[in-house]
Parts: sequence; structure tokens; C-alpha cells
Amino acid sequence: MMAFYFAQLVEIFPFFLKGLWMTSKIAFISLVSCTLIGLVLGIFRSSNSIILRYLVGVYVAFVRGTPFVVQIFIIFFIFPEWGIQLEAFPAALLAMAIMGSAFICEIVAGGIAAIPKGQWEAAASSGLTNLQQLRLVVIPQAMKIILPPLVGQYVLLIKDTSVVSVIGVMDLTRVGWVTVVRIPEGLMVFTLVGALYFMISYPLILLSNYLEQRMAI
Amino acid sequence: MIEFKNVNKWFGKLHVLKDINLEIPKGEVLVICGPSGSGKSTLIRCINRLEPIQDGQIIVNKVPVHDKATNLTKLRADIGFVFQQFHLYPHMTVLENVMLAPVNVKKIAKSKAEKIAMEKLEQVGLTEKSGAHPAQLSGGQQQRVAIARGLAMSPEIMLFDEPTSALDPEMIGEVLDVMVNLVSEGMTMCVVTHEMGFAKKVANRVLFMDEGAIVETGTPNEFFDNPKTDRAANFISMILTH
Repeated sequence: MMAFYFAQLVEIFPFFLKGLWMTSKIAFISLVSCTLIGLVLGIFRSSNSIILRYLVGVYVAFVRGTPFVVQIFIIFFIFPEWGIQLEAFPAALLAMAIMGSAFICEIVAGGIAAIPKGQWEAAASSGLTNLQQLRLVVIPQAMKIILPPLVGQYVLLIKDTSVVSVIGVMDLTRVGWVTVVRIPEGLMVFTLVGALYFMISYPLILLSNYLEQRMAI
Repeated sequence: MIEFKNVNKWFGKLHVLKDINLEIPKGEVLVICGPSGSGKSTLIRCINRLEPIQDGQIIVNKVPVHDKATNLTKLRADIGFVFQQFHLYPHMTVLENVMLAPVNVKKIAKSKAEKIAMEKLEQVGLTEKSGAHPAQLSGGQQQRVAIARGLAMSPEIMLFDEPTSALDPEMIGEVLDVMVNLVSEGMTMCVVTHEMGFAKKVANRVLFMDEGAIVETGTPNEFFDNPKTDRAANFISMILTH
């Protein structure tokens, strides 16, 4: 019985690879967008302006306090009622960008906060502007603190892409759901799905471990 | 050159600077001493606006420091600040530490800035450490690099906030030597310190602060040998019993 299904799985494997490719695309684009947006938000979160800190704080709290699946529903199903009609793929990217950047914002802000006040003061005393203090003195030092948890967050974000399957994006998870209808061997199908996710996450897990070890020195 | 006019500062409800009136002429070496919490560090930190003030005026070279319209970058380029904890940038070499401000604030070309930086490092006796990172230096060496960093912008005024208080005793001398040499070059210096030997040697004036107010001023000899107030006499006796 299993052998029969195994043969079918081999036949349908290219379909899985297509799903893996979709997942990889979404993951890669999201990692880049979340990092860029998260970096900027993290800097705002560390700003001297109470207003800026508060606004970003509200955004982050909302994103962290609601399920990602609910956020993506709102973007795909509710936004059209307000005139914003997005197809599944762009909606998925938008949802990932909003969600991921909030988490990366906190990681970046945490890294910046870990830099002693004296570093800011020394830089300021020589006449460097706020932006120069950030760019030349604080961020370079904060990067060492930010990198390990950031890479860890990347692993989580790759797994979070599986949620896009609920709005019809043919990612790796959705391929699993569609396949299991035709090949009712759930364990085999989703073991394969899991293995493929693991394949793209594991290198990052190794990297994160390596970075954490280096940081501990 | 530096003027305090009726300056008052509060940290919340705590009145940390009480009606400070002070004039520091060009070329003067002023030593500020006093017990912990007297406001002496706060006072010099207000000069380059590391701390804000709530009342009064501080004027440096005719520029009001705490005015919203004041170009802080320009003002701070003219004032060097040396911290008790050195605060060198750990991710840069010694040379890069000293070069950072000339390159990024004064927009001096890297090659020229390197020359200036090496000159200042020579002045503090550390040219051979230019490629090292701060973590590889002793405390005394780090502080000397910090002084070179302050001098790199060729400021008219150098402020020192307890420059030797975080150093092991055997390194204090090398830092004070550098500071004494600066004096002989005519630098306007404001030094918060407990090093009375230094004060006696090079200070034009000593300021004694207690609980946020200036209690007494005088030449080092006047101050140490004949303090006018009881609080000053008390303080001197406490630090000289070591």
C-alpha cells in the first residue's frame, strides 16, 4: 500500500518543488523587506521623540498581539471593502512585511538600547550629529548584539510563511493540503512537507547557533 | 570665554545646580572639586550641552549654549570632552577613534585627518598603538587616546570629567603628565578632579562645590593652605588624609 503511494509521491514531487520554490520566494523577499523596514522602525523606536517611540510601539504591540492568520485575512478579505484589492501573492508579501518588521523592530531597538549612553555622549561631544552618532558609533556596535536573535527570527519567519496557504497561495504547505486529498497518506505527505521546510531552515539555525557562540566570546 | 549667568538646573525635583555664576577667561586652567553629588560633573556637562539647564545662561565664545537656535555641532567642535570612563569606540582602532570627528564633522580628507591624528597621538605618547583596538590598551593608555581624540578637533576648550578617577594609581601619573603639557600650550581647561597635586601644579584657580552651589574659589595655594569656609576645610582634610 505504502509502496503504491510512494510511487505516486515520486511522480508528484515536482509539484512539491514548485511549492518549495514559492515558499522560498516569499521567504526571501519577506526577509529582506522585514529587515529593512524593521531596521528603520527599530531606530524610530529608539528615538528621542516620545511621539515616534509611542507610534511605533502601538504598531508593534498590535502586530505582536494578534495572530498572523488574522492579519493576513484582514489584508486579503477586508482591505477590498476599503478599496484596496490585492491578489494573493502581493497580499502575502504585505502581510509578511508588516508582521516580520514588528518583531525585527524590537530586536533592533533592544540592540541599540544595549549600547552604553557614554558611547552616544562621546560621539556627541566631538560634534557628530544624531544620525552620525547612530550610523558610525552605535549601529556598528549594536549589530553584534542584533545578529544572533535576528537570524533566529529569520527561521521563525520562514515557518510563518506557511500561513499564506490560507489565502490560496500555492506554497509548500498548500501543496501538502492539495496532495493529501489525492494521496490520503497524511503522514507521508506532511513528513515530506516538513522535511522540505527543514531543508531551508536548518542552514539558518546552524548560522544562528554559530553567531551566538561567537557573541559569547 | 565661558560664562555661567544665574544658572539653575534640576533633575526632577532635585536642585543640582544652584544659581551658578562663573567666568572662565581664555587660557585659564580651572580645577573643580567637591564631594560626591556636589554638581561638579553636571556643571561641566552643561558647558557642551550634554545636560540641559532650566534657568539662566551659559555662553561659550559669545554663543549661548542652550539656545534652540545654536549650532550644536559647531559649538561642540570647539570643545573637547574627556570622560571618566574614557568611552573610546571599541569597534574602531585607536587611529580611527581619533580620526572620526575630523573626517565626519570637519569634513577633512582621510589622509590629512590621519596626519592630524598621528600628531595628537604623538602628543600623548601613543603613536605605536595607532593600529590597536581600545580593548588591547591599559586604562591609562585608553584615557590618553581619549585626550588625543578630544584634541583632534583642535578645540579652544578642553573639559575633563574626573579623568583619572577610574584609573589604577600607577597610571594616573601618565595621564596627568599629558594634561600638564596641554596647560603649557595655553589651552583653556576645566578639570573636575580630586588630584590636588595636579591642581597645585598647574591650576590658575580652584572652585569648590557642595550641594549644587559654588562655595569657594581661590588660587590653589589660597584654597589648600587657607580655605575660607568650614566646608572647604573639612573636604580638604578628608582628601588629604590618604
